[in-house]
Amino acid sequence: MFKDLDPILHSQLRLAVMSLLITVKEAEFTFLKEKTNATAGNLSVQINKLKEAGYIEVKKQFKDNYPQTLCNITAAGMEAFNKYVRDLQSYLQTGTT
Amino acid sequence: MEDKPLDTHESLQVISSMIAKAKDSHHDTGIVSILWGTVIGLCSLATWSQIQFDYKLPFDIWVLTFLAVIPTVILSVKENKQRKVKTYDQTAMDAVWICFGVGIFLVVHANNHVFQMVGELKSIVEAAGEPRPAQSFLEYYSAYMLVLYGIPTIVTASIKNFKPMWVGGIICWISALVVPYTNIKVDMLLMALSAITAWFIPGIILYRRAKARRKAAHV
Repeated sequence: MFKDLDPILHSQLRLAVMSLLITVKEAEFTFLKEKTNATAGNLSVQINKLKEAGYIEVKKQFKDNYPQTLCNITAAGMEAFNKYVRDLQSYLQTGTT
Repeated sequence: MEDKPLDTHESLQVISSMIAKAKDSHHDTGIVSILWGTVIGLCSLATWSQIQFDYKLPFDIWVLTFLAVIPTVILSVKENKQRKVKTYDQTAMDAVWICFGVGIFLVVHANNHVFQMVGELKSIVEAAGEPRPAQSFLEYYSAYMLVLYGIPTIVTASIKNFKPMWVGGIICWISALVVPYTNIKVDMLLMALSAITAWFIPGIILYRRAKARRKAAHV
Protein backbone atom coordinates (compact mmCIF):
# COMPACT_ATOMS: atom_id res chain seq x y z
CA MET A 1 0.00 0.00 0.00
CA PHE A 2 1.44 3.40 -0.99
CA LYS A 3 1.78 6.21 1.46
CA ASP A 4 1.03 9.73 0.25
CA LEU A 5 4.17 11.76 -0.16
CA ASP A 6 4.23 14.92 1.95
CA PRO A 7 2.98 17.64 -0.47
CA ILE A 8 5.06 20.30 1.29
CA LEU A 9 8.27 18.39 0.52
CA HIS A 10 7.23 16.93 -2.82
CA SER A 11 8.29 19.99 -4.78
CA GLN A 12 11.69 20.49 -6.39
CA LEU A 13 12.76 23.71 -4.69
CA ARG A 14 11.34 22.99 -1.23
CA LEU A 15 12.92 19.52 -1.25
CA ALA A 16 16.24 21.03 -2.35
CA VAL A 17 16.13 23.55 0.51
CA MET A 18 15.29 20.82 3.02
CA SER A 19 18.06 18.56 1.68
CA LEU A 20 20.57 21.38 2.11
CA LEU A 21 19.36 22.29 5.59
CA ILE A 22 19.33 18.69 6.85
CA THR A 23 23.08 18.50 6.17
CA VAL A 24 24.08 21.76 7.87
CA LYS A 25 23.40 23.39 11.21
CA GLU A 26 22.43 26.77 9.81
CA ALA A 27 22.57 28.42 6.38
CA GLU A 28 22.23 31.92 5.02
CA PHE A 29 19.57 32.73 2.45
CA THR A 30 22.34 33.60 -0.03
CA PHE A 31 23.86 30.13 0.43
CA LEU A 32 20.50 28.46 -0.35
CA LYS A 33 20.04 30.72 -3.36
CA GLU A 34 23.53 29.95 -4.67
CA LYS A 35 23.18 26.17 -4.26
CA THR A 36 19.65 25.87 -5.66
CA ASN A 37 20.10 28.41 -8.48
CA ALA A 38 16.62 29.71 -7.67
CA THR A 39 15.50 33.31 -7.96
CA ALA A 40 15.37 35.28 -4.70
CA GLY A 41 11.60 35.80 -5.02
CA ASN A 42 10.75 32.15 -5.63
CA LEU A 43 13.12 30.95 -2.91
CA SER A 44 11.63 33.40 -0.45
CA VAL A 45 8.09 32.13 -1.16
CA GLN A 46 9.14 28.47 -0.74
CA ILE A 47 11.05 29.22 2.46
CA ASN A 48 7.92 30.87 3.86
CA LYS A 49 5.88 27.75 3.03
CA LEU A 50 8.41 25.54 4.85
CA LYS A 51 8.38 27.95 7.78
CA GLU A 52 4.58 27.96 7.96
CA ALA A 53 4.62 24.13 7.97
CA GLY A 54 6.99 24.31 10.97
CA TYR A 55 9.76 22.50 9.06
CA ILE A 56 12.31 25.28 9.25
CA GLU A 57 13.09 28.29 11.42
CA VAL A 58 13.98 31.62 9.87
CA LYS A 59 16.01 34.23 11.74
CA LYS A 60 16.43 37.73 10.40
CA GLN A 61 19.27 39.86 11.71
CA PHE A 62 21.88 42.40 10.65
CA LYS A 63 25.46 41.52 9.76
CA ASP A 64 27.85 44.42 9.07
CA ASN A 65 24.85 46.73 8.56
CA TYR A 66 23.33 44.41 5.94
CA PRO A 67 20.20 42.31 6.53
CA GLN A 68 20.92 38.61 6.90
CA THR A 69 18.43 35.74 6.81
CA LEU A 70 19.44 32.50 8.51
CA CYS A 71 17.55 29.24 8.13
CA ASN A 72 17.76 26.01 10.07
CA ILE A 73 15.74 22.82 10.08
CA THR A 74 13.45 22.07 13.05
CA ALA A 75 12.89 18.70 14.76
CA ALA A 76 9.51 18.49 12.98
CA GLY A 77 11.26 19.23 9.66
CA MET A 78 13.82 16.52 10.28
CA GLU A 79 11.10 14.00 11.10
CA ALA A 80 9.09 15.01 8.01
CA PHE A 81 12.18 14.69 5.81
CA ASN A 82 13.01 11.24 7.19
CA LYS A 83 9.41 10.11 6.65
CA TYR A 84 9.50 11.49 3.08
CA VAL A 85 12.67 9.49 2.34
CA ARG A 86 11.15 6.32 3.87
CA ASP A 87 8.01 6.79 1.76
CA LEU A 88 10.14 7.32 -1.36
CA GLN A 89 12.00 4.11 -0.60
CA SER A 90 8.75 2.17 -0.30
CA TYR A 91 7.69 3.50 -3.73
CA LEU A 92 11.02 2.55 -5.28
CA GLN A 93 11.01 -0.94 -3.77
CA THR A 94 7.74 -1.63 -5.59
CA GLY A 95 9.11 -0.11 -8.81
CA THR A 96 6.45 2.57 -8.99
CA THR A 97 7.08 6.23 -9.70
CA MET B 1 15.30 25.44 -9.84
CA GLU B 2 11.54 25.78 -9.79
CA ASP B 3 8.56 24.90 -7.64
CA LYS B 4 7.54 21.88 -9.71
CA PRO B 5 6.28 18.46 -8.58
CA LEU B 6 8.66 15.54 -8.99
CA ASP B 7 8.64 11.83 -9.62
CA THR B 8 10.42 9.58 -7.11
CA HIS B 9 13.67 9.33 -9.11
CA GLU B 10 13.86 13.09 -9.52
CA SER B 11 13.23 13.48 -5.79
CA LEU B 12 16.16 11.21 -4.98
CA GLN B 13 18.36 13.07 -7.44
CA VAL B 14 17.50 16.41 -5.83
CA ILE B 15 18.21 15.03 -2.35
CA SER B 16 21.56 13.46 -3.24
CA SER B 17 22.80 16.42 -5.30
CA MET B 18 21.87 18.94 -2.59
CA ILE B 19 23.46 16.87 0.17
CA ALA B 20 26.65 16.65 -1.92
CA LYS B 21 26.59 20.42 -2.53
CA ALA B 22 26.08 21.15 1.17
CA LYS B 23 28.94 18.84 2.15
CA ASP B 24 31.20 20.68 -0.26
CA SER B 25 30.28 24.05 1.21
CA HIS B 26 33.08 24.66 3.69
CA HIS B 27 36.82 24.32 3.21
CA ASP B 28 39.57 25.19 5.62
CA THR B 29 42.11 27.71 4.28
CA GLY B 30 44.90 26.07 6.31
CA ILE B 31 46.32 29.44 7.41
CA VAL B 32 45.78 28.90 11.15
CA SER B 33 47.37 25.42 10.90
CA ILE B 34 50.41 26.88 9.12
CA LEU B 35 50.67 29.63 11.74
CA TRP B 36 50.68 27.21 14.71
CA GLY B 37 52.91 24.66 12.98
CA THR B 38 55.41 27.45 12.37
CA VAL B 39 55.21 28.96 15.86
CA ILE B 40 55.50 25.69 17.81
CA GLY B 41 58.13 24.35 15.40
CA LEU B 42 60.17 27.56 15.67
CA CYS B 43 59.91 27.75 19.48
CA SER B 44 60.96 24.10 19.85
CA LEU B 45 63.91 24.47 17.46
CA ALA B 46 64.99 27.73 19.14
CA THR B 47 64.91 26.00 22.55
CA TRP B 48 66.90 23.08 21.14
CA SER B 49 69.42 25.46 19.58
CA GLN B 50 69.89 27.38 22.88
CA ILE B 51 70.73 24.15 24.71
CA GLN B 52 72.80 22.68 21.87
CA PHE B 53 74.93 25.79 21.26
CA ASP B 54 74.83 27.05 24.83
CA TYR B 55 73.46 30.57 24.40
CA LYS B 56 70.39 32.38 25.69
CA LEU B 57 67.96 34.54 23.76
CA PRO B 58 67.17 37.88 25.46
CA PHE B 59 63.52 36.78 25.82
CA ASP B 60 61.57 33.58 26.34
CA ILE B 61 60.86 32.31 22.81
CA TRP B 62 57.66 30.60 23.98
CA VAL B 63 56.12 34.08 24.42
CA LEU B 64 55.49 33.80 20.65
CA THR B 65 52.73 31.27 21.40
CA PHE B 66 50.81 33.93 23.36
CA LEU B 67 51.35 36.47 20.56
CA ALA B 68 50.12 33.94 17.97
CA VAL B 69 46.74 33.87 19.73
CA ILE B 70 46.04 37.41 18.40
CA PRO B 71 46.22 36.59 14.65
CA THR B 72 44.43 33.29 15.35
CA VAL B 73 41.45 35.12 16.87
CA ILE B 74 41.46 37.74 14.06
CA LEU B 75 41.61 35.05 11.33
CA SER B 76 38.93 32.91 13.00
CA VAL B 77 36.55 35.88 13.40
CA LYS B 78 37.18 36.88 9.76
CA GLU B 79 36.58 33.32 8.49
CA ASN B 80 33.42 33.03 10.61
CA LYS B 81 32.09 36.28 9.17
CA GLN B 82 32.69 35.04 5.62
CA ARG B 83 30.92 31.73 6.25
CA LYS B 84 27.47 31.54 4.73
CA VAL B 85 26.79 28.21 6.33
CA LYS B 86 27.48 26.60 9.67
CA THR B 87 28.10 22.87 9.35
CA TYR B 88 27.91 20.30 12.16
CA ASP B 89 31.52 19.24 11.38
CA GLN B 90 32.83 22.77 11.67
CA THR B 91 30.88 23.40 14.89
CA ALA B 92 32.37 20.23 16.42
CA MET B 93 35.89 21.15 15.30
CA ASP B 94 35.58 24.72 16.58
CA ALA B 95 34.57 23.34 19.98
CA VAL B 96 37.45 20.83 20.01
CA TRP B 97 40.07 23.49 19.14
CA ILE B 98 38.67 25.98 21.67
CA CYS B 99 38.83 23.24 24.35
CA PHE B 100 42.40 22.49 23.21
CA GLY B 101 43.40 26.16 23.56
CA VAL B 102 41.87 26.40 27.03
CA GLY B 103 43.40 23.01 27.95
CA ILE B 104 46.89 24.14 26.90
CA PHE B 105 46.49 27.35 28.92
CA LEU B 106 45.43 25.39 32.02
CA VAL B 107 48.27 22.86 31.67
CA VAL B 108 50.84 25.66 31.18
CA HIS B 109 49.38 27.48 34.18
CA ALA B 110 49.52 24.39 36.39
CA ASN B 111 52.98 23.39 35.18
CA ASN B 112 54.39 26.87 35.71
CA HIS B 113 53.21 26.69 39.31
CA VAL B 114 54.88 23.30 39.75
CA PHE B 115 57.98 24.59 37.92
CA GLN B 116 58.19 27.48 40.37
CA MET B 117 58.04 25.05 43.28
CA VAL B 118 60.71 22.89 41.64
CA GLY B 119 62.82 26.04 41.19
CA GLU B 120 62.53 26.77 44.91
CA LEU B 121 63.60 23.24 45.69
CA LYS B 122 66.46 23.45 43.16
CA SER B 123 69.14 24.49 45.62
CA ILE B 124 68.09 21.81 48.12
CA VAL B 125 68.06 19.12 45.41
CA GLU B 126 71.38 20.31 43.95
CA ALA B 127 72.91 20.21 47.41
CA ALA B 128 71.76 16.61 47.64
CA GLY B 129 73.73 15.90 44.44
CA GLU B 130 70.82 15.54 41.97
CA PRO B 131 71.69 17.06 38.58
CA ARG B 132 69.64 19.84 36.93
CA PRO B 133 66.25 19.21 38.61
CA ALA B 134 64.45 22.05 36.81
CA GLN B 135 65.47 20.75 33.40
CA SER B 136 64.48 17.21 34.36
CA PHE B 137 61.02 18.54 35.09
CA LEU B 138 60.87 20.19 31.64
CA GLU B 139 61.57 16.83 30.02
CA TYR B 140 58.27 15.50 31.41
CA TYR B 141 56.43 18.72 30.55
CA SER B 142 56.86 17.97 26.80
CA ALA B 143 54.95 14.69 27.12
CA TYR B 144 51.82 16.42 28.47
CA MET B 145 51.93 19.00 25.70
CA LEU B 146 52.37 16.37 22.99
CA VAL B 147 49.43 14.36 24.31
CA LEU B 148 47.31 17.53 24.09
CA TYR B 149 48.63 18.39 20.58
CA GLY B 150 47.57 14.96 19.38
CA ILE B 151 43.95 15.08 20.60
CA PRO B 152 42.43 17.88 18.43
CA THR B 153 44.67 16.89 15.52
CA ILE B 154 43.34 13.33 15.47
CA VAL B 155 39.74 14.48 16.05
CA THR B 156 40.05 16.89 13.09
CA ALA B 157 41.68 14.21 10.94
CA SER B 158 38.86 11.83 11.79
CA ILE B 159 36.03 14.33 11.12
CA LYS B 160 37.60 15.56 7.88
CA ASN B 161 38.96 12.19 6.87
CA PHE B 162 42.27 13.96 6.26
CA LYS B 163 45.22 11.52 6.22
CA PRO B 164 48.11 14.02 6.66
CA MET B 165 46.63 15.12 10.00
CA TRP B 166 46.23 11.49 11.09
CA VAL B 167 49.95 11.00 10.48
CA GLY B 168 50.80 14.19 12.38
CA GLY B 169 48.51 13.32 15.30
CA ILE B 170 50.00 9.86 15.62
CA ILE B 171 53.53 11.34 15.51
CA CYS B 172 52.48 13.63 18.42
CA TRP B 173 51.38 10.64 20.49
CA ILE B 174 54.39 8.48 19.61
CA SER B 175 56.59 11.42 20.60
CA ALA B 176 54.64 11.74 23.88
CA LEU B 177 55.44 8.08 24.52
CA VAL B 178 59.14 8.56 23.78
CA VAL B 179 59.99 11.90 25.44
CA PRO B 180 59.95 10.69 29.08
CA TYR B 181 62.97 8.52 28.14
CA THR B 182 64.92 11.10 26.13
CA ASN B 183 66.80 14.26 27.10
CA ILE B 184 65.37 17.73 26.56
CA LYS B 185 67.26 18.27 23.28
CA VAL B 186 65.59 15.23 21.71
CA ASP B 187 62.28 16.30 23.29
CA MET B 188 62.46 19.66 21.55
CA LEU B 189 63.33 18.07 18.20
CA LEU B 190 60.37 15.68 18.58
CA MET B 191 58.14 18.61 19.54
CA ALA B 192 59.23 20.47 16.37
CA LEU B 193 58.68 17.34 14.27
CA SER B 194 55.21 16.91 15.78
CA ALA B 195 54.20 20.53 15.13
CA ILE B 196 55.48 20.39 11.56
CA THR B 197 53.75 17.09 10.72
CA ALA B 198 50.52 17.73 12.66
CA TRP B 199 49.87 21.32 11.57
CA PHE B 200 52.42 22.89 9.23
CA ILE B 201 52.39 20.26 6.44
CA PRO B 202 48.60 19.63 6.59
CA GLY B 203 48.13 23.41 6.64
CA ILE B 204 50.22 23.80 3.47
CA ILE B 205 48.18 21.03 1.77
CA LEU B 206 44.87 22.69 2.80
CA TYR B 207 46.15 26.11 1.68
CA ARG B 208 47.15 24.76 -1.74
CA ARG B 209 43.79 23.02 -2.15
CA ALA B 210 41.92 26.21 -1.19
CA LYS B 211 44.05 28.21 -3.65
CA ALA B 212 43.38 25.71 -6.46
CA ARG B 213 39.64 25.79 -5.66
CA ARG B 214 39.59 29.61 -5.77
CA LYS B 215 41.45 29.54 -9.08
CA ALA B 216 39.03 26.99 -10.55
CA ALA B 217 36.06 29.05 -9.38
CA HIS B 218 37.37 32.12 -11.21
CA VAL B 219 38.06 30.34 -14.50
